[in-house]
Amino acid sequence: MPIVAGKTVRLNRLFNPKDGRAVCVAADHGWMSDPTPNVIELKRILREVVSGGADGILVSFGTALRMGSLFEGKNAPALLIRADWMNLPRLGGSNVSNVLPAVNFKKKATSCAKDALLVGASAITIYYFIGYSDEFEAINIEQAADFAKECRKIGLPLIIEPMAVGAGVTGVNVTEILIASARIAVEIGADALKIPYTNDVRSFKKLVDEAGVPVLVLGGAKSDDPRDALELADEALRAGARGTVFGRNVTKAKDPRKMVADVCALVHHGRSVDEVLGARVKQRGRLRPIAANCTGCQLCEIACVHYHSSAFDQDSHRLRIEYKFRPDEPRLSKPIVCPLCEKCVEACNEGALTIGPEGYLVLDRGRCTSCGDCVPGCPLGLISLDSNAMPVFCDLCEGSPQCVAWCKPHAIVLAPPKGDRKNVS
Amino acid sequence: MNTNVGTSIRMSEFLDSRDHRALLLDLTIASSFGAVAGLEDIAKTLSQCNEIFDGIIMNPGQLEHHAHLLGGKLRSSPLVRVDWTNAARGNDPGLPALKVTRVQLSDAEDALRLGASATVATLLLGYDEEMEAENIRSVSRLARECYRLSLPVIADIRPMGGRVTADNFAGSIKLGVSFMMEAGADALIVPACDKETLSLIGSWSTVPVLVRLENLARPEEIQELFALGMSGIVFTEKILAVSGFEGIVGSLRHLVH
Repeated sequence: MPIVAGKTVRLNRLFNPKDGRAVCVAADHGWMSDPTPNVIELKRILREVVSGGADGILVSFGTALRMGSLFEGKNAPALLIRADWMNLPRLGGSNVSNVLPAVNFKKKATSCAKDALLVGASAITIYYFIGYSDEFEAINIEQAADFAKECRKIGLPLIIEPMAVGAGVTGVNVTEILIASARIAVEIGADALKIPYTNDVRSFKKLVDEAGVPVLVLGGAKSDDPRDALELADEALRAGARGTVFGRNVTKAKDPRKMVADVCALVHHGRSVDEVLGARVKQRGRLRPIAANCTGCQLCEIACVHYHSSAFDQDSHRLRIEYKFRPDEPRLSKPIVCPLCEKCVEACNEGALTIGPEGYLVLDRGRCTSCGDCVPGCPLGLISLDSNAMPVFCDLCEGSPQCVAWCKPHAIVLAPPKGDRKNVS
Repeated sequence: MNTNVGTSIRMSEFLDSRDHRALLLDLTIASSFGAVAGLEDIAKTLSQCNEIFDGIIMNPGQLEHHAHLLGGKLRSSPLVRVDWTNAARGNDPGLPALKVTRVQLSDAEDALRLGASATVATLLLGYDEEMEAENIRSVSRLARECYRLSLPVIADIRPMGGRVTADNFAGSIKLGVSFMMEAGADALIVPACDKETLSLIGSWSTVPVLVRLENLARPEEIQELFALGMSGIVFTEKILAVSGFEGIVGSLRHLVH
């Protein structure tokens, strides 16, 4: 049964109405810990997060003011405001850098629900720390209750993030405390939860069932292997979670857009982790045009653009159809596709553009200086620069080329990679 | 002229206007422990109970999500607990309370917005002076707010602290009753105790007094409570664990009304 209309409408903006699920990204780390590269490059990273298809992004109030344009548009992610601040990462014991250590655990309410509503937020998120001390828990409960009252008043959803930390939390009781804290948060007034995974499907299902409100699993520290993060999400979804709120696993990922897209594939498209990660390996190869089959329909261009930017912008595709007109002859068309000649790799003096281990072009954004040398380096003119002066190039859709998949006359096919002529796919 | 007609009307939503008695259920323990037995699926529990009890005490968060299952002519009226405490945790192995705390969760305006027929505030007795003073201040302020908005305040008296012993338990209850009547409570909830104490409270109190029962009572025990001047019973979530509790409480309902 719905809660007040404003909350319902705003939750619908966050949770995809088709499947009731959401892929969110937490990007509030600069608010509470050292300015690591993912904090310094936040704007660029969040653009990629948006293009990856995130349903919501959690940021501080200040970031919302500075980067509000990311949230404009009907299909843009929902804006979630972190309404409190804490110094847990600076107490030591966590894996984040800590230039100015703190001794006493502090948490303060820093925004109010009304301010969040004014900047167009779809929800606010606050912490609920349990296990540190009774007094500290009481402060958390009191703040949460104040936010809950204010949110009820103005129709803004409240997402509570229970965190079991402190001397009272051990490996033995952490799951039990997390399960209890989820329900306590709901009793106080949470409309949804952002909560760590309990490390097994059974206990997390108990948490989800007893909470009774949508549960979003968080990713925690960055996993060395993206598979670990995806498997965590997959298990949480099987336990009944309604989505994810990954932070560092996205913002520190080599390719944040791809990471978000991969999580979306799990959450919204029901793909398995193996399907998400494995398809590329199977289709390793390079593109080969067969001009005789081309009808000039340009579906390959559309598929290319849509895959990379979830849009239909005809100027940013990474291949093109060329036409030749001769009097008294049918119009001739031909796909111009990246043959993986590696001329762009040779042109990149910084070593930013390389052929990755999976056999397609990858860009190390940390190394790229936006010099643009790769653009003339491509003999087919298939590389351009985006609005951030970063190269736009064919990456074989990370091994699963959409132009091949969509070209029904087979005018573009996947040929074996160089030096591997036997394995034609 | 009754200047507080709103309070009277709202009181009558859970305290029967003919016999001035009430049968209530308190489901707020989940804010201390999470989903204890019987509260795993709150919607299901409410669906089972919402035509048996006159009122159900809920935390504000759950009330907001499940208000559609309460209220109206046939269903239990929603009563909102406006505070949170870890006192009930005691030495619980999972979530022990080393220092007992109590904080405000809701206020009169918020409770009205939630559609509550009354607020329920906890008075913890037997802890340190600072906490007791803050608790008294908080309930007094709530009573003033609720008076302005014509919303009843029910004070739930809990002598649970280390300073409460078997010897002073009954006296502590009487102290709490006195404090809460002075503070302006419209009704009281007291723990079950000896007959003499209940009889004294029943004759002395100018507001309805309900008795909190942790377990199901026999019909004759219920009748005795009313004979002592009590106005109702408050069961806790523990009765949900009793097999066939709907039928048993349903028959008790006939005794109450």
